[in-house]
Amino acid sequence: MGVEQLIESGLLQPFCGGVLESAAHPAVAVNPKSLDVKVANGVSARLVLLYTTSSQSVVNIDIDRDASLDIVAIYAADSYVSVSVNQSEGSVCKTMSALVSSSNVTYNYALNGVGAESVFNAVFVVEGREHSTLNLNTRHLTSDCKSCSLVKGVSAGNSTGEFHGLVYVAPDAQRTDAQQQSRNIELDNSRIISLPQLEIYADDVKCSHGSTVGYSDAEALFYMRQRGLSLAAARRLQIEGFINDVVSRCDMEGICSVLHDAVTAKLERL
Amino acid sequence: MLKITDLHASVGDKEILKGINLEVKAGEVHAIMGPNGSGKSTLASVIAGNEKFTVTSGSVTFEGEDLLSLPIEDRARKGLFLGFQYPVEIPGVSMANFMKIAVAEQRKYKGLEPLSPAEFLKLMREKSAIVELDSKLTSRAVNEGFSGGEKKKNEIFQMAMLDPKLSILDETDSGLDIDALRVVATGVTRLKRADNATVVITHYQRLLDYIVPDYVHVLYKGRIIYSGDKSLALKLEKEGYDWLINDYKE
Repeated sequence: MGVEQLIESGLLQPFCGGVLESAAHPAVAVNPKSLDVKVANGVSARLVLLYTTSSQSVVNIDIDRDASLDIVAIYAADSYVSVSVNQSEGSVCKTMSALVSSSNVTYNYALNGVGAESVFNAVFVVEGREHSTLNLNTRHLTSDCKSCSLVKGVSAGNSTGEFHGLVYVAPDAQRTDAQQQSRNIELDNSRIISLPQLEIYADDVKCSHGSTVGYSDAEALFYMRQRGLSLAAARRLQIEGFINDVVSRCDMEGICSVLHDAVTAKLERL
Repeated sequence: MLKITDLHASVGDKEILKGINLEVKAGEVHAIMGPNGSGKSTLASVIAGNEKFTVTSGSVTFEGEDLLSLPIEDRARKGLFLGFQYPVEIPGVSMANFMKIAVAEQRKYKGLEPLSPAEFLKLMREKSAIVELDSKLTSRAVNEGFSGGEKKKNEIFQMAMLDPKLSILDETDSGLDIDALRVVATGVTRLKRADNATVVITHYQRLLDYIVPDYVHVLYKGRIIYSGDKSLALKLEKEGYDWLINDYKE
């Protein structure tokens, strides 16, 4: 089912900003120019951000104490988007993001309250002459917060994919637990730029970051071809597997298949 | 079935195979033994078509057809199977999905109708039972997080699924405990028929207690320097390679 059908059949609720409540079905904002979102104390909410036409967009989200928000964002058309999330004490924000176009997307997470947690998963897939940039700034501003990010990118043709990740840990943010991983595959004449950074001003912290850029794994291709897969099929399966490792973590009903289809359609063009 | 004539192969500038001659007929089991670094795995890789190696001279035919001119996947589709010494992990690709595609591609090549989902599941169940492979593993990513024993069982499971004419098993026994070795080796013998053939590369006589070879070859410095029957493996187990190597001049 496409997004329009999901909205028509009530499986996604159109949303144009304001207070987001716990609801039977996720809220969806399609191509919002600006969106202000508030999740009140203790509420568990779900939000879908969908960009289907070329857009410029600013999204501001406040998550109150002990509230949680699941976000799925799909950038299917060239977009320039900034998403800022302010998290209070004990709040949790889980984001799943897919860039399948020439987009420039910035996520700013401010972990303002003790024990706030951010889980960020994203993929970007670029081909042809596309250029996509994903900026991720996670600011640990107080103690006992947790952040975990995994970003996987694939570039093909003459495209460029960029990931800029910054984890900032403020002087008072003791017992911070921050993990940041960037994994990328570069095909053809394309280019990946991956810049993970840590800026740490507290001493009692657990921070890790990793970044890899590689080509298709020749041994894995040999293995798959030895079982009878053509080179093209083996390569496609390997890239699909690489990306699906992230996409399959989507657990928001309804929209997961839309996310999966958008990514698969893009991978078929590589 | 397989005929190798004066095969030379290199990696970079280094020649590893220096004139291999070997013929394997349907129904036969051949064991290839030899000290580390003698070229056993290279031979297996070259036959399967690994592009890391360059064939500099010689020929390999499979059922009368020139194998060396075929891409890797066509060799596999014609019925050549390589059991890897180090099976490769493919993150994010489930074993079941991988086998579904592999079986479909091989059937298409042979002009056979694709299997229905029910038929495929039945085949998976049947074949995983041969090597006592935990059915949970088939829903996991290919070889990812598999133990050493599970990886090797998984190789034989794939061999059973694809039903090859010629299987080359590269140190399928390495890294296995005694029970896993029995399961894997028994699995291989259950797949043996009069119309297929097996080449096992091994360091140890123990595997050959289960998979009884018709011929045992010793590979040393890129050549087969000695061939015999199964008693040769027993003699090697007892006496090592020195008596052969000392006789051998390059």
